[in-house]
Amino acid sequence: MRFSPSKIVTITLATLLAVLIFLLPLVAASEYSFRGAGGKGHSFINYQWLVQQDGFASHLLTSLQLAVLAGLLNLILMVPTAVLLHISLKRWRPIVDFICILPLIIPVVSLAIGAQVSMPKIVQNTQYELVFFFVIIALPFTYRTLDTSLSSIDLKTLVEASRSLGAHWITTIVRVIVPSIKGGITGALFLSFALSLGEFTITSLLHWDTFPTWTVVAAQQNILGAIALSVFSFVGAVLLMIIISTFAVRKRSASISHIEEVIA
Amino acid sequence: MSTLETVQRVSSKLELRNIYRKFGQVVALDDFNLTVEPGELIALLGPSGCGKTTALRIIAGLERVDSGRLDVNGIDYVAKPANQRDMGMVFQSYSLFPNMTVSENIEYGLRVRKIDSSKRKKIIYEKLELVALAQKSNSYPHQLSGGQQQRVALARALAIEPTVLLLDEPLSALDAQVRAQIREEIRRIQLSLGITTIFVTHDQEEAMSIADRVGVMSHGKLEQIDQPITIYNNPLTPFVASFVGEANRIPAELAEPGYVKVLEQTIRVANQSFDHSHGLPVSALVRPESLQIASESEGTPGQVVIKSFLGPLTKLGITIEGGLMVHINVASKEVSSVDIGNRISFKIVAEEVMVESA
Amino acid sequence: MKEIAVANQSEGTIRRSFSISPRTSPLFPFFIFVGFFLIWPIISLIIRSFKGNEDEWTFANYSPLLHGSYFHAFVVSIKLASITALIGAILGSFFVYAIVNNAGPRVTSVLDSVCAVFANSGGVPLAFMFIAAFGTEGLFTKFLKSIGWDIYAGKFTLFSFTGVVLVYSFFQIPLMILVFKPALQGLRKEWSEASINLGANSTTYWRHVVIPILTPSFLSAFFLLFAGGFSAYATARAMTVGTVPLVPIIIGTLVDGNVISNQTNLGDALAVGMIVVAGVAMSGYLIAQRRANRWRAA
Repeated sequence: MRFSPSKIVTITLATLLAVLIFLLPLVAASEYSFRGAGGKGHSFINYQWLVQQDGFASHLLTSLQLAVLAGLLNLILMVPTAVLLHISLKRWRPIVDFICILPLIIPVVSLAIGAQVSMPKIVQNTQYELVFFFVIIALPFTYRTLDTSLSSIDLKTLVEASRSLGAHWITTIVRVIVPSIKGGITGALFLSFALSLGEFTITSLLHWDTFPTWTVVAAQQNILGAIALSVFSFVGAVLLMIIISTFAVRKRSASISHIEEVIA
Repeated sequence: MSTLETVQRVSSKLELRNIYRKFGQVVALDDFNLTVEPGELIALLGPSGCGKTTALRIIAGLERVDSGRLDVNGIDYVAKPANQRDMGMVFQSYSLFPNMTVSENIEYGLRVRKIDSSKRKKIIYEKLELVALAQKSNSYPHQLSGGQQQRVALARALAIEPTVLLLDEPLSALDAQVRAQIREEIRRIQLSLGITTIFVTHDQEEAMSIADRVGVMSHGKLEQIDQPITIYNNPLTPFVASFVGEANRIPAELAEPGYVKVLEQTIRVANQSFDHSHGLPVSALVRPESLQIASESEGTPGQVVIKSFLGPLTKLGITIEGGLMVHINVASKEVSSVDIGNRISFKIVAEEVMVESA
Repeated sequence: MKEIAVANQSEGTIRRSFSISPRTSPLFPFFIFVGFFLIWPIISLIIRSFKGNEDEWTFANYSPLLHGSYFHAFVVSIKLASITALIGAILGSFFVYAIVNNAGPRVTSVLDSVCAVFANSGGVPLAFMFIAAFGTEGLFTKFLKSIGWDIYAGKFTLFSFTGVVLVYSFFQIPLMILVFKPALQGLRKEWSEASINLGANSTTYWRHVVIPILTPSFLSAFFLLFAGGFSAYATARAMTVGTVPLVPIIIGTLVDGNVISNQTNLGDALAVGMIVVAGVAMSGYLIAQRRANRWRAA
């Protein structure tokens, strides 16, 4: 790479701006979260406080539970659907594509209001109704991820091969297709999980209580504690993603160099 | 500058001398020398990584030179910016600007040269006629087939009336059938315009069929540059012998100086510069057409394991003692009664063979 | 439905016939699920928005939207969405430009994941973080004070329109990077080289090739950012309850019962209004996207 003056200027400017806009608020918030009692000094006291709060564990558990259920339901619903649309039933693709864009078009607020109105009592009586809506909200992202993943493998050939060897549909999906799109499935699961964990809008408007909504309430008592949590979850997510992506890249290049060794 | 006649055209002479170019640790061109006479079509032929594309891009000005000279009509072009070189280039793929119609694509270079509107229209029409795509002038690239896109790319390159035409594997991304068709068109147009042309390819059939001279490259060096028939019949190095045309690699022994013993026959060595003294095992490179069916007393016996009918010729794969399979090309009539499993003998009928380390 | 029958004529073997495509019915679960949990709520929402207090058909719920404070809320929401989308689009484009030409594969993939996290951030954690950084006790505020700029000297408060713009930019910019980067990456090296070879300079290339090609992608990204900025709820709620009139927040307060209105279904009308605005933005997105994809195929 040749470093012409204009390139250097661009890179420097971009880095400076990035630090200013993104890093500094993070750093400032982190610093704040370590403030000691009465805003003096620095300690872990806020993080301790938060974890010790009544309801921290129970609400966290609730959110995790809902997130897991939503993730699973998402996969069970969308993997077969996406596979089907790829193999045949191409007519339906435009319709499904559009439906999966809808949750982006329709503000979550509106969906929440609509849900209030339309959901029958049996559904509305349990907080598990949130699972269904989490799935809907995640739909654009999970469908897109699975779709892209399926496009990158030769699905038709795999299915024909599997079926011609006598396998039933379910066997084909479970033993042939799913392993081939592991990456897409993990991605979709992740997205769905992350969205569900952090979802606030529908939860709050339907008057349920999950971890995000509980945090807001807890914040009214001790803003520092809430800030500590926010910082923690944010920084944690960023670090996690960086680690995952570094490993993913490394794994890929490891397998490529292995193949090169074999050929050479 | 632009004339509307397609007959006489000024075309350039190119001279590359001692070009050296390195990318990181990899040497792309090593003491590369090439002279292209005006009006010649030179093909640069070689496997991936041999440096042929680098050489082309250096001529175009899209790559720097670490050291060496590039002269166009005697003028030093090494430092000349790429957008002032007056050379037309056709890329392997994605040549055309997708947001412009065919006409607008062709017009691009003309607008840069501030040629006025009516003249531009004439030139566009002329070039489209040249590549037989006049009816597609308002189409967009994504509406055209791969072959059509490349023809438009050619028209666009020629519209600026360059004195050198550069083609970087222009046919590699196309279907086999289309490829043969378009390469003939390119040659026809090149001949009628008399424009100095450099054609880079890894396909030896392509290079041999249309070039005035073929330059075979390997590892950044030009191994041989000659007329196609010379390259084929008189390869200078083992690499050229095996890259162009087919060659059987048959284990051999060095006999008296300048001669090699292969398949019980003693034959003169073609590449006399080969270092005989080491006593290492060698292979002789023998073309299929240099082998003929012989009687059992005269030739080497073997068993037919493959028979491929190729029209006028039939290719036989014969396994000899030791397990090696040798290919020979024979007139189909001669071997109509020969079947797989038959025993057959053959001999070498070449006067000399290329030798390389086994 | 295709059926490939593999028939084996020799005796004793079973004739196998299999279809590679099952019937349409396997799609039913999807349609039923989406129909019940997405389509039905929206339809009933729309229906209810046209029903008055006595369950009669009426436009009465919509009239408050056309003037007064509710109309103003729409204006403010649209303003917020436009400004943050613009900031995101412009700054995001700049970052994309810096990344695409200069970052190696490892850096790019790290940046991708970081952007993904940032783009999906929002809601409560983000609001809190900004309160921490920019609040009266925040590090940022103190730092700025130390260099002579007391941001609170005037009427600035984080819980204002400007504050929300600031916070929204934090996720709009990364979202732009995610969405727009593929467009810039799609610019083929061959195009710039062909342009050079044909004698043009950088400016010409940008004017006649790059800008026309990138504009649809840029616009579609802008619309996407707009829709997101318009519909966002959690972040705004954590920061502005009562202080800035935004439609999502108002709907929230109606639902919570903090505000009573004569029109019981006013909230529904507001929600439908949101769908309309977001819908217009997303149509813009889809149209621009279609245009952009046409040239990808080339």
